[in-house]
Amino acid sequence: MTSTHATAPAVEFLSAGKTYGSVRALDGLEVALHPGETVALLGPNGAGKSTTLDLLLGLRAPDPGGRVRLFGKTPRQAVTDGRVGAMLQSGGLMDGVRVRELVALACDLHPRGHPVERVLLDAGITELADRMVGKLSGGQEQRVRFALAIAGDSDLIVLDEPTTGMDVTARRSFWSAMRDQAAGGRTVLFATHYLEEADEVADRVLVLHRGRLLADGSAAEIKAMAGVRRVGFTLEMVPDGVLEAQLRALPGVAELQLAGAAVRLRSTDADATVHALYTLGVYPHGLEVTGLGLEEAFVTLTSRAEAARVSPSQNHGRKAAAQ
Amino acid sequence: MKTLVKLEITRSLRNKKFMFFSVIYPPVLYVIIAGRDVPGNMPGLRVDMKLYYMVAMAAFGAMTAVLMGNSERIAKEREAGWVRQLRLTALPGRGYVTAKIASAATVSLPSILLVLLTGALVMGVRLQAWQWAAVALCSWAGSFVFAALGVALGYLATGDAVRPITMLCYFGLAFMGGLWLPLSTLPGWAQDIGEWLPTYAYTGLGRAVEVGEAPHPGDAALLLCYLLLFAGAAAWLYRKDTRTA
Repeated sequence: MTSTHATAPAVEFLSAGKTYGSVRALDGLEVALHPGETVALLGPNGAGKSTTLDLLLGLRAPDPGGRVRLFGKTPRQAVTDGRVGAMLQSGGLMDGVRVRELVALACDLHPRGHPVERVLLDAGITELADRMVGKLSGGQEQRVRFALAIAGDSDLIVLDEPTTGMDVTARRSFWSAMRDQAAGGRTVLFATHYLEEADEVADRVLVLHRGRLLADGSAAEIKAMAGVRRVGFTLEMVPDGVLEAQLRALPGVAELQLAGAAVRLRSTDADATVHALYTLGVYPHGLEVTGLGLEEAFVTLTSRAEAARVSPSQNHGRKAAAQ
Repeated sequence: MKTLVKLEITRSLRNKKFMFFSVIYPPVLYVIIAGRDVPGNMPGLRVDMKLYYMVAMAAFGAMTAVLMGNSERIAKEREAGWVRQLRLTALPGRGYVTAKIASAATVSLPSILLVLLTGALVMGVRLQAWQWAAVALCSWAGSFVFAALGVALGYLATGDAVRPITMLCYFGLAFMGGLWLPLSTLPGWAQDIGEWLPTYAYTGLGRAVEVGEAPHPGDAALLLCYLLLFAGAAAWLYRKDTRTA
């Protein structure tokens, strides 16, 4: 990989793996994040996201032979130096204290802590400051966790499923607060299962699948990688069984949905599909060929990888193509 | 780190239920055990029973509050994931352990004072001023050892196992260390073990004061060793803890 960045990567995984018993949760992850990037980490449940974040933050050690470096140092050193702020999904809050007291604690523990009022304001929880931590709603708790992650002048912010439990408004204001953090030159890494968030916010998307890095690129690149497009049109009459079979047999068709005379196809080769469509002697009205959303691309990529587990060589080819 | 110590103490004081029972039950137990109107010395000792149990219950009450309180709360905090969050800060392990010992000490001090007050006002125990101060101080300072043990136990055990393991340590240490009955009433082999337990050294401090002597340096040294051992183990376990996912 050629890098134009002169400084040490913000995050570097060097053949980092993690095995729990007989389960290979993470399989030789090789990836580097550069200062200033906003990176989304995607993956189905059990893909290794949590393990990746645990290794990144030094909560767990990688298996022998693998290494994780933050700004060229060990994760623990980076945390001690105050270079990392993190918000964990599994990170509970101290109970029996007020929000302000907890945030003040985080500011105090950070080597370059910000003033408490500023952090409350940045996280949008000034009005929660005097509430007891145990009495918060799920979404409010998330915002307090976010406050803990930005309590000091960290260079890297790690967020695990940050908007879980938030309503739409809270989510929007959360990402606006996040963008301010990123605009300050910080590296941001977040894991999410809301793919539209990754699409809107991230410069770079990493897709994990069964402990391996399946794709690494911009949201647009990931969508292109999935290589699938949607073809939609309406026929002049409801197709009979013969026509339906013919439609299904068109080149590239991966999936066919019929709703009366309306046809929706997913095709791995939309050009060939459309070209062949006219040879069937039908007249498609309102023909539309559209790309997939990140969500569909993600589903396509992961289910393809799932299928390719039968013949791993294919999987490797796919991965090489991604890089 | 000072903020954490302060916050942990504030939390302890706010936890009124725990505070109430931890503070109230040692003097109650003291009155029940030694309140019978039979003045006299402990079997085999030249110490009045009321005085003996005052010192023993001050120690026992303080030990209960800190050992139980710490181990269970820490196990709970680990399960809730707060400790994981805390490990993402620059807080060193010793800072965490210090804060936990400090918060436990907040609970044990009033419990000790109440036992002594009961001894003086209800049970008619008479001591010199320096002895009162020395008993209070020794009971309090000694309780730090068990607070540290509580932190370590909170890390060694998870979930449902915490309580039985803590109970085992607690009753074992209390019984074998002579908190309930003088060690001389136990079989020889138990006495040999008991003499090396932190509980024995803990009450040893008070026993010396009871008979008008200064606390023995040997007891203090043994307790200090245990404090360093438990606190060191607790700090190490805090850093190493990877179990709660």
